[in-house]
Amino acid sequence: MSSLSGIFSKENVKEEKVFQPEPYSNPYLVGVGLGLVLLAAFVIMGRGLGASGAASTVVAVTVSKVAPEHASKNNFYKEYLTDGTTNPLKDWLVFEVIGVAVGGFLSGTLAHRIKRTIEKGPNISNRMRLIYAFTGGAIMGFGAKLARGCTSGQALTGGALLNLGSWAFMFAVFAGGYLTAYFFRRQWL
Amino acid sequence: MMPYYKFDYFSFDFSLVVAFIIGIGFGFALERGGFGNARILAAQFYFYNMRVLKVMFTAIITAMLGLFYFSWIGWLDLSLIYLTDTYILPQIIGGLLLGIGFVIGGYCPGTSVVSASTGRYDGMMYLAGMFFGIFVFGEIFPLIESFYNSTPMGRITLPEFLGLSHGMIVFLVVLMALGAFAAAEWSEKVMTKKLGREKE
Amino acid sequence: MKCPVEKLSLNKRLALITLLLGIIALFIGNPNNKNTIKVNAKELALSTIKDQDKISVLQLAEWIIEGRSDFTLVDLRNEKLFNKYSIPSAVNIPVENLLDSDLMRNEKILLFGDDDITSAQAWFILKSANYKNVYILKGGLNEWKDKILYPKLSENATAEEKNNFEKVKQISLHFGGTPQIVSGTTTNVIQNVQTPSAPKIVQPPAGNLKNVPKKKREGC
Repeated sequence: MSSLSGIFSKENVKEEKVFQPEPYSNPYLVGVGLGLVLLAAFVIMGRGLGASGAASTVVAVTVSKVAPEHASKNNFYKEYLTDGTTNPLKDWLVFEVIGVAVGGFLSGTLAHRIKRTIEKGPNISNRMRLIYAFTGGAIMGFGAKLARGCTSGQALTGGALLNLGSWAFMFAVFAGGYLTAYFFRRQWL
Repeated sequence: MMPYYKFDYFSFDFSLVVAFIIGIGFGFALERGGFGNARILAAQFYFYNMRVLKVMFTAIITAMLGLFYFSWIGWLDLSLIYLTDTYILPQIIGGLLLGIGFVIGGYCPGTSVVSASTGRYDGMMYLAGMFFGIFVFGEIFPLIESFYNSTPMGRITLPEFLGLSHGMIVFLVVLMALGAFAAAEWSEKVMTKKLGREKE
Repeated sequence: MKCPVEKLSLNKRLALITLLLGIIALFIGNPNNKNTIKVNAKELALSTIKDQDKISVLQLAEWIIEGRSDFTLVDLRNEKLFNKYSIPSAVNIPVENLLDSDLMRNEKILLFGDDDITSAQAWFILKSANYKNVYILKGGLNEWKDKILYPKLSENATAEEKNNFEKVKQISLHFGGTPQIVSGTTTNVIQNVQTPSAPKIVQPPAGNLKNVPKKKREGC
């Protein structure tokens, strides 16, 4: 039996007296909920959601701590650092992403889905999966900066705003994924 | 008048509180959708579980319709909402890279945060990788800066680019999304049968 | 047991609502047209007559010295001129970039150009774009130069004028200006002997002024 269905099917109830993870919610309802959160960001702040921007701030701050001279010469880092009057980590996206972690944990706790585990297909070792995760993260971090945003900042936010570049970006993401999915099927199927 | 922050209804410091609360909502929704789980996210690219597409497009049309009607009623000044400038070529190349990274890593930046906070080690590794990727980008930025700034098109939206009315584009996006949902339901049915899995 | 029909119908209901909203949107067309703005002409005309939207250079000078930070001073001239000289604490936003700037709708904005003309036009643009507190520096930079940087006092001035001049002199010196006493054709320059030239931009004491915030990134 594949491990994917194990999560959802009720036949796999273990004997241990633990709470079973609840099935994930109806995707369309979740979508409406996510859309309302996004709308709230637009209405209250006049801006959308983001994720990779917060990571960029952290990277830029770290680099400037280690090598301030080096960071101040680099236009990319400079964009995420302030002029010294305020702490660059006191940033909207940084606080938002901290909220994302808390919100995810909260939801996971309520649905008994917190689990120390590695998500992977049955045909790949844990070690390989972690290497893949790191590699994928690196490629995505790079790509997100090149595209000026990730799935949250570009696809979701820009998509709702009907931003031309965001829609081009979104189709490129799906294209990139579907074109290469075949080569990495061992990891997931 | 919305957006409130742009009309100075509250200070920058308070906006950070707003950020935290909105972040909680964002993380909560992502987790509910199953986006803290790499297998569900990756399944999108093998057609047997289309949650990514469903959640994403539903969220996009919800927010899009909200923006459209709020600004029609006159509550919201749409021109005040931050819109990223379009640089078409770097964005397409970046998008392709993101898609490849998505299949390899199993997450995108936002979902990896949820994954890590719900205990997934692969999510934590992904986060580490993302920091590394951004660091590499930052280090070679001087070399690729001209490409990064190439093909600028400024602040431009689909209605402006296509010369159609805003409402027309909204309608077309809704149609496209509904079509995509129907296709997604169908492909899930076919693929789960083919892969010998149960439909969720 | 979960009823699959009920679940399905919820999705279909959602789809139906969405489709309806989409079709209505099609008929609405454009929810707001950015190029046409509603203007309360009467209100605008009235505030023009009352002169209540004008701030004198002396007033501004005092504000800067006091370190007041509740307003944003906007230099509307081009970047080249701005870099050459501008009033301390001013931010440079050329008129054409005004609507794309980071100025907040409720923030107190004080505009100036070389004279009153540019700032009056900019005032109108901002007012019609729903900015609430927009003010004009009366006389613009020319008046700033005349009254603050190079204030003149004729020799046969009255006692009251002399008294006023003492005050202006202090202000002028604060901004690195050169107050002058004019007698007939010769001009006696106080403190500085050289002919008046644009002074270097003098930064007032640290902590005295609002730190002009860097453009905040808002993207992902």
